[in-house]
Amino acid sequence: MRSEPALPTLPPALFRGLGAFFATELRVQLHERMAIVTSITVQVVLLIFVRILAPGLWSVALFGAVIFSFFTLGQRVLNEAAYIRVDHRLNQLYLASPLTPESYFLGLSLGVLVAYLLPIGVLVAVAVVTVPAPAILWVALPFLALAVFAFSASIGYIVSTQFRDMRAIWSYASLLYNFFGVLPPVFYPVGDVPSAVRVPVLLLPPSGASALLQSFLGTAHLTGGEVALTTLALAVESVGALVLAMIWARRTVQEA
Amino acid sequence: MATVTIRPESTHGRVVPAFLVIGWGWIARNPAAAVAPILLPFIFLYFLRIIAPASLFPLEVIGAMLFTTQNIGSWVLGDSATWRIECALQDLFVASPMSKLRYLLGIAVSNLIAAAPALVVLSVVLAYELPTPPPWYAWGVLVGVIGVLWVLFSAVGVAISSRVRSQREIWPVGNLTFTCLGMLSPLYYPLAVLPPLWQDVARFFPATYAALLLQGVFGVSPAPPLELAADSGLLVLSAVVGIAIALRLYRWRGG
Repeated sequence: MRSEPALPTLPPALFRGLGAFFATELRVQLHERMAIVTSITVQVVLLIFVRILAPGLWSVALFGAVIFSFFTLGQRVLNEAAYIRVDHRLNQLYLASPLTPESYFLGLSLGVLVAYLLPIGVLVAVAVVTVPAPAILWVALPFLALAVFAFSASIGYIVSTQFRDMRAIWSYASLLYNFFGVLPPVFYPVGDVPSAVRVPVLLLPPSGASALLQSFLGTAHLTGGEVALTTLALAVESVGALVLAMIWARRTVQEA
Repeated sequence: MATVTIRPESTHGRVVPAFLVIGWGWIARNPAAAVAPILLPFIFLYFLRIIAPASLFPLEVIGAMLFTTQNIGSWVLGDSATWRIECALQDLFVASPMSKLRYLLGIAVSNLIAAAPALVVLSVVLAYELPTPPPWYAWGVLVGVIGVLWVLFSAVGVAISSRVRSQREIWPVGNLTFTCLGMLSPLYYPLAVLPPLWQDVARFFPATYAALLLQGVFGVSPAPPLELAADSGLLVLSAVVGIAIALRLYRWRGG
């Protein structure tokens, strides 16, 4: 009896099912119009505060809102991954399929990202109209935003695997994302934080990305070393978290 | 054959203690659940402390207390909708001797437990930050105002919960409704700094009168006694109207 020669396992096999997971998640998310509309509620509230009480910080707060929006997409990934696993109990089905856990994580994250681009686009449009920003900022913005998203979505996915109760998720996820998204100088100038915590602030992805944007806007002064440190930290943290989340996804399959 | 006699008092049930146990049980099992819901007002406060003039801070602390109280409505919405949609408990509640008003009171008490630590902490912050000691009755007025808003927004939350159709709608609907209500009222900023149209719109919301009353009583934005009396009256009036509308919208049976 002749058997067909096995197809060589190429790197793309690692992402088998990516398109299916992406399309499914995008479709699911697009049904949640109310969630998409309300995804920038906190950002709008903080922008209102700034507009009324400190209009001079408008440009900082507006670009901070864009970065914060990408950061909080990790919370959506967390919620969605936990919802699929805890409430729908679909994980077992996915794991039994020939689709890979890496593509599940990436497809889910990309689906969330694309679905939520519209409200973020509104913030960017307001920035285009109201803030005279230099070209370098517009070039850097997509890279910084995607780096923050990659970090945030990866952490969200890893954390989601630790939950057993849907009602507990909102509390912990909200703590995690609001704590790291609003307390550091994302919406306000990095120069307002004490010098003792300046380095940790630059190492945190949302505040690091925001600090770089502020330096492009001219509202914060970063030294050459600080720019290099922040850029390097952001690159290492986003790629590192992404790889860790994929390893984590594979590990959860093996433990199942 | 023995006859079973049901004592009249047993048909009333013990709604408030039962919901107190539910509220405490939830907090005891999930300590973060006690922290997370109260986190948002503190985050706003922290942000405002950085960007706004320091003289406004007592006003913002009062605003955070009112916003926390208002958010109880969002948690009531979440609990009531989850019990109805996910746990399918609504039929059980309707079949029980408990009326919809007692259910509202019970679920409001249950969620007050989660807000109580934040309100206590904010009271201490307020006492510390006030430039001059407030009159003796100010703390009593504060408790009364919080009580009125607690009942009002719990009623709003339970009313909206009966209209929510899926589990996934709960959080965005609650978030949008209660954050918008909080921002339209001048909780975190003086009414006078808002654009004229916004000021007019804000006058339709009970939380506006709650904020004006407390700002006046605590001497943050001094106001003559007659104006404070008018704010009190309008707060009670708008709250009564709001509760009546909410109860009218609430679907107790067949939701």
